Amino acid sequence: MTIAEEHITEERSELLARLGLDGQNKASMGRVLATGSIAEATERADGTMEATIRIKEDEVCWEPAILVLPHGGDLELTVINDDKNTHACLLPSNGDQKFLWLVNHSRGKATIRLDGPGYYWYSSPGGNDEGRGLTAAIVVQGEVPPEARLDRPTQPRS
Amino acid sequence: MTVEYVDAGEAINHSALSSMARIAPAVTNDIDSERLLKARSESQNWLTYYGAYDGQRYSLLDQINAGNVSKLSPAWIFQAGQSGQMAATSTYAFEACPLVVDGVMYVTGWDGWFWALDAVTGKELWRYKHAVPFDVSLCCSNVNRGCAVAKGKVFFVTPNAQLLALDATNGDVVWQKTIGDVRAGESASIAPTVIKDTLITGSAGGEFGVRGHIDCWDLETGEQRWRTYTVPKPGEPGSETWPDDGEAWQRGGGNHWVTGTYDPELNLYYAGTGNPAPDFDGGVREGDNLYTDSVVAMDVDTGEIKWHYQFTPHDLWDYDSTMEMTLFERDGKKLLGHFDKNGYFFVLDRTNGELQHVTPFVDRIDWGVITRDGKVTPRKYPDKEGEPVHFYPGPAGAKEWTHAAYSQKTELFYVPVADVGATATRRRREFKEGIPYWGAGVQVDIDNMAGSVSAFDTYGEEKWRWRIDYPMAASVLATAGDLVFAGTPTGEFVALDARTGEKLWEFQCGSGHHSSPSTYSVDGKQYVVVPVGWGGWLEGIVPGLLGQGHGSAVIAFALPD
Repeated sequence: MTIAEEHITEERSELLARLGLDGQNKASMGRVLATGSIAEATERADGTMEATIRIKEDEVCWEPAILVLPHGGDLELTVINDDKNTHACLLPSNGDQKFLWLVNHSRGKATIRLDGPGYYWYSSPGGNDEGRGLTAAIVVQGEVPPEARLDRPTQPRS
Repeated sequence: MTVEYVDAGEAINHSALSSMARIAPAVTNDIDSERLLKARSESQNWLTYYGAYDGQRYSLLDQINAGNVSKLSPAWIFQAGQSGQMAATSTYAFEACPLVVDGVMYVTGWDGWFWALDAVTGKELWRYKHAVPFDVSLCCSNVNRGCAVAKGKVFFVTPNAQLLALDATNGDVVWQKTIGDVRAGESASIAPTVIKDTLITGSAGGEFGVRGHIDCWDLETGEQRWRTYTVPKPGEPGSETWPDDGEAWQRGGGNHWVTGTYDPELNLYYAGTGNPAPDFDGGVREGDNLYTDSVVAMDVDTGEIKWHYQFTPHDLWDYDSTMEMTLFERDGKKLLGHFDKNGYFFVLDRTNGELQHVTPFVDRIDWGVITRDGKVTPRKYPDKEGEPVHFYPGPAGAKEWTHAAYSQKTELFYVPVADVGATATRRRREFKEGIPYWGAGVQVDIDNMAGSVSAFDTYGEEKWRWRIDYPMAASVLATAGDLVFAGTPTGEFVALDARTGEKLWEFQCGSGHHSSPSTYSVDGKQYVVVPVGWGGWLEGIVPGLLGQGHGSAVIAFALPD
């Protein structure tokens, strides 16, 4: 998995930094949603995917902030808390959400299944994390199966 | 020095951190087509969406009756709750009709959620929560109307257009199919219907310019048996009602997003279809636009449309006709009754679609006139760019998707009526997949509105009316106890005398009603159950109550022991 800075224009990146919206407790009290790093999950030969998400010390946000999957399916996540506070992880998954306690400096695993395409929020539902400070997204790319598509010519998209 | 991480282990199911049993009795194992054909005779259960294939929403139970309903009180409350992600926090609502099988209740909610409950105590037996993308195009709102049960399984659809078969004892997935294209703006909200060894579903997404379809699936494997589009391609029957040199048919709407009814003798499934797209700009889709705003009678084995009747040709007011097609008999004749959003009550011969008569069922109708023999004359519609046009009923119709009931005992229909207008201003736009395709700006009146539960005989003559200050936004239920149950937008759940309309009982449920109550009995005790949770497409239905609290509970009522 490679983590890259968010694919945004330099102008926008500079503006976020100048306004203090790209980190904790600057202009706002937390990092503005969906700013931060982006990473792509790694796909194994059998089609399952893997990735790591972590909470860095005193940043109160997930790294990466946006995890991108090439398609729907099973994802094996390594979840790391590098912070000196306790957090948790409540992840979307078909059937039931997946929950993991994350005491200080801990590391766990989660296997989730998502249909895609679309983006899914996840968060840390611990009492001290309420609010949106530890909210991030998993984005599933791709199209629905060919047999589920409408019988019509290709249509314009925005 | 490297410090080893504390081992946090494997993530667990969120439901593991709850008190639920995680197992339910295997009550659906013996449900097959024979039992479903006779569903009404199993009056202790509510086996299908409408309680029976005929769509009457009528129960033979009479323990709770006009003489004792004043003693009705809550037996239990299930708080559906919310946690984690929600596809649209402002528009979620309960719109489901609970099914009950031998003491187990199955309820669906927003966001792909499903619960199995103990029907006597309300305790959660198991839950299933499908992950739904935050950005899926929802048409309209984050809702689901219910499930089907058979052969040890329960079946339901999710907002991101998945059809799931779950093990009825524990909620585990048995099979799953993608039934629509979320990138094209398709979604799903219909309660599936089990007929014979198949399952019938329909698509949602008419406001996004999709091409509506009805699908049939193998009950055991999920393999597709047939798909029938409700907007024909060039050259297919009905295509002459669309522009022959354009692309309108590709984006025509006509979605089937409310469960149909079924006549086993005729082997016909009666499917209501939604509005044409774009909703209000008829200039890009000249013609009658079949089979939108219609009932299509389909051969269950092949999906072939045997006949159709269009309630609003060339709709310019967003008058879907998806709501129930109630089957009943009169003087030995097989008939179909339909209260349309356009404000008129239609009765058809269901063997061939021949119109019997049409009558208005709401006070204010000025979009157009339909004569008793079915001649349609439009009067007011948004045909000039930028020019506001006010009309009654508004786009939620004189009755939205919510259902009427028909009592075999009184031979009356009971209808939740909405009397509110709207102003539409045509604004043409280009079509793009996944973007709303209305062709107008619309404002529904937020004052000067009314509603009622109204009783009509089968010829359309009004017999009584129970009035309220707001448009009704929930289904009604009729029982052999001479009762009609209905929920109001302001939270009251009421029991009316089926013969006079007199209010005999009410309970304030704490949130507005926008779903379908059902009734059942366990060990000889009758219950009435209603999901409560205000939300959904309220800006179209009752915008004057957009600011009401939401809530989300399932409440069961019974008489004291």
